[in-house]
Amino acid sequence: MKTDLSPRMKVALYGLMCILLIPFVFPTWWMVTSSVKPISDIFAFPPDIIPRQFDFSTYSQVFELQPFARQYWNSAYIAALVTLGTMIVSSMAGYAFARIKFPFSNAIFMVVLLGLLIPSEVTIVPLFQMFLSWGMINTHWPLILVPVFGAPSVFATFVMRQFFISLPVELEEAARVDGLGRFKIFWTIALPLAKPALGAVAIFTFLHSWNLYLEPIVFLSSTQMFTLPQALTQFTDAYGGAMWNIQLAAATMTALPVLVVFIIAQKQFVEGLAHTGLKG
Amino acid sequence: MAPVTLRSVKKSFGQSDVIHGVDIDMTDGEFVVLVGPSGCGKSTLLRMIAGLEPITSGEIDMGGRIVNDLEPKDRDIAMVFQNYALYPHMSVATNMGFSLEHRGASKAEIAERVQWAAEILGLEPLLKRYPRQLSGGQRQRVAMGRAIVRNPQVFLFDEPLSNLDAKLRVDMRGEIKALHQRLKTTTVYVTHDQVEAMTMADKIVVMNAGRVEQIGDPLDVYDAPANRFVAGFIGSPAMNFIEGEATAEGFVADGVVLPLAATRSDLAGRTLVYGIRPEHLVLDPQGLPATVKLVEPMGSETQVSMTLAGTTVIGVFRERVRALPGEVIRLRPETVNIHIFDAASGRRL
Repeated sequence: MKTDLSPRMKVALYGLMCILLIPFVFPTWWMVTSSVKPISDIFAFPPDIIPRQFDFSTYSQVFELQPFARQYWNSAYIAALVTLGTMIVSSMAGYAFARIKFPFSNAIFMVVLLGLLIPSEVTIVPLFQMFLSWGMINTHWPLILVPVFGAPSVFATFVMRQFFISLPVELEEAARVDGLGRFKIFWTIALPLAKPALGAVAIFTFLHSWNLYLEPIVFLSSTQMFTLPQALTQFTDAYGGAMWNIQLAAATMTALPVLVVFIIAQKQFVEGLAHTGLKG
Repeated sequence: MAPVTLRSVKKSFGQSDVIHGVDIDMTDGEFVVLVGPSGCGKSTLLRMIAGLEPITSGEIDMGGRIVNDLEPKDRDIAMVFQNYALYPHMSVATNMGFSLEHRGASKAEIAERVQWAAEILGLEPLLKRYPRQLSGGQRQRVAMGRAIVRNPQVFLFDEPLSNLDAKLRVDMRGEIKALHQRLKTTTVYVTHDQVEAMTMADKIVVMNAGRVEQIGDPLDVYDAPANRFVAGFIGSPAMNFIEGEATAEGFVADGVVLPLAATRSDLAGRTLVYGIRPEHLVLDPQGLPATVKLVEPMGSETQVSMTLAGTTVIGVFRERVRALPGEVIRLRPETVNIHIFDAASGRRL
């Protein structure tokens, strides 16, 4: 919607937006600047918005204190596999719920949706027992399998289903007349058109997996297997006190790829959610 | 090209019957238009011919083989949809060649067929564009190109012009007709627009509430409608209907005696409906009085809404009528063009 505002209103509006920006931008600014401050400067009062001195050695210490590169790789490949798996499962399930008529499909979809209502804290102990009996504790399998077949995938399935419902049926009928079977229609017609929704699913699945904290601390026990959110808690001194500047340097490196991905893909993300009718 | 025959074709959705046993014979190369009001079942019938909708009972015969249980791809048909149904992520050329690609045609053959169709439809400059970059008329032509490229036995059109503006609709009507005359492929065309039906069809099938009301040559259907529904549906403006009773003097309605052909003495004493098309009312100083309600000058003709024998009727006159609302003009129904319908059954007598 395009509105014509008077210059005074524009100034007021931008002023308000700048004020609203503070709670969103300040924590990130604080994280990045504190990561290069000596630890004594972090708690100085009044706080320094711009560091008085820059100490980049904190970034190298991150790699000295923890197998951080390995942990980075762990997080990256787990998030990539979870994202890929969720895209496959949710697009196929979403398409089936949207387009294929089978008995009790709506009731089954409701049951699937109920999975969203169960907090992960409730299922974590039974899941631990299950993966223990499968010999998968201190492996990355639980961190891959639970999101792909659990609540995050249910949400993604919902998003994909809403998108496929909005796709004109005539496109698929034209494809049937053109000689395509069900799977080819899905693969060559429906899926390429679902790129915006798939993009949105990919971004929020990746973010969810990248930020996952509870499951790693339950299922993983060795530092070599840790993911980044879990690794961030490990930067402590001999007395268990947090090494704030090093921890914030690690946090900055952890947040960086997510920020980059989100800035590049934010248009896709918003469009994807708009296509699914989930726009606020 | 193939003849298409429907035999006692029925369709039910649950307990609700939507097509009540339809029989239609379409000869090889014929352009058949299914026409009727919204919800009459014409699109459902077309979808059943296409194989997109299973039939409940009956038989669909295409070129001598029963296709009831065949998938759309195995029926050798091509369909043009109301909203074009072009694949948005493919270029015009890819859209047109898509079906050939999935039937294992070689790249050279696909390119040749696409080029052939593009030449016929004037699409050559658009082949690399995407559907979103085309106007409504161009999309329509691409949809037709996609249909003809495979050289199917039967073309199916589902209200293909209803999304176009009035002028483009007239142009495309001509193009589709010209295309049919060139390719001579059996065509089934669905529309609710009776002008489209009249101008394009070799054979019209008028449908109402899941039943075929009349099948015939467009002018035969116009000149001799089988019943009141067909008479009212085919023709624009619609036929005028006046309820009354046939007597020895003529047709009496609201105390006015309307002329009947001398040969219709068999109707005397019956309650009937008198039908006369607007262009078959002629101005005549010796004619019946009609009170003018509205005069609409069209330029080439004048359309007048008026009250005749207690009923509102419309007349279309070549003359320029300059009457004001409330004035009385005199007119005469042409007796050779009068249609008489049974008041109860609606059947033409």
